[in-house]
Amino acid sequence: MSDLAPLSLRERLAARDPASEVLPGVSTAALRASVEGLPAHVAGVVLRDLDPASFVRALVALDGRAESLVLAPPGTDAAVQADYAARARCAHQVATLEDLAHLPAAPGEAAPTRWVLATSGTTAAPKLVGHTLASLTRSTRTDVARGAGLRWGLLYDPTRYAGLQVVLQALLGGSTLLAPPLAAPLPERVSALARDGCTHLSATPTLWRRVLMTPASASLPLRQITLGGEIADQALLDRLSATFPEARVAHIFASTEAGVGFSVTDGKAGFPRRYLEEPPRGVALRVREGRLFVKNTRVLGAYLGEEDSTFRDAEGFVDTGDAVEVRGDRVLFLGRASGVINVGGQKVHPERVEAVLLAHPGVAAVRVGQRRSPITGALVTAEVTPAPGAAAGALKRELRAHCAALLAPHERPALVRLSGALRMSPAGKLVREVAP
Amino acid sequence: MIRSTLTQVFTEVFEEHAGGEAPALADASVLLETGLDSLGFAILVTRLEDELGFDPFTEAADAVYPRTFGELVAFYEAHAPSLRETA
Repeated sequence: MSDLAPLSLRERLAARDPASEVLPGVSTAALRASVEGLPAHVAGVVLRDLDPASFVRALVALDGRAESLVLAPPGTDAAVQADYAARARCAHQVATLEDLAHLPAAPGEAAPTRWVLATSGTTAAPKLVGHTLASLTRSTRTDVARGAGLRWGLLYDPTRYAGLQVVLQALLGGSTLLAPPLAAPLPERVSALARDGCTHLSATPTLWRRVLMTPASASLPLRQITLGGEIADQALLDRLSATFPEARVAHIFASTEAGVGFSVTDGKAGFPRRYLEEPPRGVALRVREGRLFVKNTRVLGAYLGEEDSTFRDAEGFVDTGDAVEVRGDRVLFLGRASGVINVGGQKVHPERVEAVLLAHPGVAAVRVGQRRSPITGALVTAEVTPAPGAAAGALKRELRAHCAALLAPHERPALVRLSGALRMSPAGKLVREVAP
Repeated sequence: MIRSTLTQVFTEVFEEHAGGEAPALADASVLLETGLDSLGFAILVTRLEDELGFDPFTEAADAVYPRTFGELVAFYEAHAPSLRETA
């Protein structure tokens, strides 16, 4: 460990050309000047409900000054925010740029800021995960000469890990961040990105399919397209290459459990079989019993959550839980081996949906499964055996209302089928089909 | 036939998923501006597959992303199995 305190985000911006735009119409010099004059050390701060451009200013202003920065996702309710503030020991909230100017100095010396992100989760209480600027920017490219002139579009929520990666890449790579308001409808956001000359854009496959449906998408001057968070299918990769012939198309595989990731840029779904022998970016890969196992062969012990490694085998491999198939010279992703259903990038546990359905008096037995969707990758389906005496006619409608009250939209079965008896294994367990 | 099925299933899914009264659809209606999100759109495509017996998004060799209701209808019509095959 070095004795030198790592540079703050504000200090790291000094590597950029002062005249380069950080945000459209905002030069690096102007941004840096706008965050001068704050106390050198302030207590923990919860950032909430900031539009993306203000959010970026607040990050630059407070990293290296605040003890902690909690990035509250938009729409987080007041009680949850208060809970975040208590758990991360934050005394202040910043909801507008005005609030920044009123933060009081705290005693003691400034130390590297702890960045606190909430894990996704719409119904269960989100976990808070601590990071530092150094850990968040481990894979950020910081060659500002190469990054000059690139215009990164932000479609993700910047308070989440994937969105924050885009923000930090634009800032530290010498590029410009285009961040249309998250609450605006997608066609408007895509129009704004096209108008502002977006060259680099990252989104989930589900979001890319929606982007391609917007009238303005054809005029995006894209040079780099990144897909992550879900399986990228061949049809989508082909469509992106055809629509944006100038762009390099990369799909990312990342395992948060193992703290590793690599990207595939040959325009084909899955990854080349030779990666099993030649680890891409130091990520060793194995296929065992139809599942992908990964091991980071570099910087061992450097990742957050490393101590929580009971699932590591003797050779250090971690089960990603992804079902894969080796077909010819490719390894293809099939879905989650555990039966977790990925609906447009959001995870659904079938057991949870089954429990909700079983709580309805008209349901005797239920099996929740999935059906492939060309739009969201998968949809939740349910096969229901009505309880004796249940009015089958009204049951579907009742179950819909029941699920709407208790489940998030992506968790609700999109298709409900009423059937006689469900298949059981010899041990009496529900037969659950693994992803197709 | 396909147009009326699309309109009817769209209305059903909209009312269930987005809530409220479904907007009137014209050929020029931009799908993403109707208020149906991608999950709603995914449900629409799946219900239509059950209703019509085919899913052009999966059958088309190339992924196509219709932007307006008119394009969606044309897309389904272009990929409909011929009457002879379904008879």
